[in-house]
Amino acid sequence: MKRNIAISTIFAFCVLAWGAPLLAHHGTGVAYQVDKWITLKGTVTEWIWSNPHCGILFDVTDDQGNVVHWGAELGNPHQLSAAGFSKDVLKPGDKVTITGHPSRSGAPRVEFNRMVLPDGRTVTTGGVKGNGEKADTDYETPER
Amino acid sequence: MWNRLLKSFEVLAALLAFSCVTFAQTYGTPGYSPGAWKPDELPKELSKPKPFNAHDLSGVWSTPTTAGYFERHSLNDKWKDVKDKKIPPQMRSDASPPPMTEWGKAKFDANKVSYGPRAVEPELNNDPVSQCEPLGYPRDLWEANLRPFEFIQTPDRVLQHMQYHDTWRTIWTDGRALPKDPDPAWYGYAIGRWEGDTFVVESIGYDDRTWIDHFGNPHSDQMHLVERWRRVDKDTLKLDMTLTDPKTYTKPWVAETITFVNPKAAIFEEICSPSEEHRFNDEIRDESKAISKP
Repeated sequence: MKRNIAISTIFAFCVLAWGAPLLAHHGTGVAYQVDKWITLKGTVTEWIWSNPHCGILFDVTDDQGNVVHWGAELGNPHQLSAAGFSKDVLKPGDKVTITGHPSRSGAPRVEFNRMVLPDGRTVTTGGVKGNGEKADTDYETPER
Repeated sequence: MWNRLLKSFEVLAALLAFSCVTFAQTYGTPGYSPGAWKPDELPKELSKPKPFNAHDLSGVWSTPTTAGYFERHSLNDKWKDVKDKKIPPQMRSDASPPPMTEWGKAKFDANKVSYGPRAVEPELNNDPVSQCEPLGYPRDLWEANLRPFEFIQTPDRVLQHMQYHDTWRTIWTDGRALPKDPDPAWYGYAIGRWEGDTFVVESIGYDDRTWIDHFGNPHSDQMHLVERWRRVDKDTLKLDMTLTDPKTYTKPWVAETITFVNPKAAIFEEICSPSEEHRFNDEIRDESKAISKP
């Protein structure tokens, strides 16, 4: 019973953490539908590990076999390192599943939140503050 | 059936927990530097507390983010508690500057921002930060939410080392007065003195191309800042600031007291690389390009 409670607590914490992106980009809120989510399976073409923003370019093949070039927007390497990412976490050819907020314009762009790596691990930018520490609250329900 | 459901739930929970644990284990470690030194690579002495001295400002400081991730981004930063989830957090807060002069208003209107109620599409903003231009002061302070700064005290000056851009602001404490007619500088010219336990910093000579905050509030080359810093305990630094700029604002802008906490982290190199930012803008941010060449 105790174990079940512990597991439920971890589960609840992680779900909450996933809902709290660390990103604070210029115009992110304007460009993305922050109340909507999208999950995409694709193949990495480029992992951009750069300051002050990182990005993932990846190809997604739709049901008709058309390949669409997608881009995911992430925070800076400092923030991402704190969240468990690294320069070597991705390479071209990696099959990944990326979840985030879709663009408002309809462009194949996504505000990154989490990703399932080829080895099955999940990495997320959720729950990490900009200075690299753990976020205390979910920004979508700020207690102010 | 119930057991099978529970089993799948446990597997999912374990997977989720793993992703959380990857970053959770390093918090609270003095000197921790993401992407570089791991906690077990640091000297153990770093964890030993130093005796408190109100006249010692040294340390790495950041603004707390206890509620929402936009804690503070201007002298005043009012968070609007909107229930509509469609309004992103970047647009839920705004500064409350004093009334602007005609000159100030024209400059404010020309500033196309990415945050607050006036936010525009990413590719349309003209925020200097989008081109890796210097943030200047006091704007760099609000970045402490994301990027800490560090005070270093020497016999004749106090150095404010900003993580972002690895910028150094010099506050002279050797008895000199402010310069009479300085050339404009991104970080101005500053002098400091102790009044009891308060470190008082006065500064002028700021380049008017920088913004005060990411809401686009402007300043002129006549901006005069008075900062009153107090280390109230070993983990807390308080700042009271008054901004006087008669060319831009009709009365002084008095900030709400700003609290900085010691995040136990080290300064991390975080230089905004113009070529890397340009590439990011070109390949990811500027969505119109993505639409025209899918």
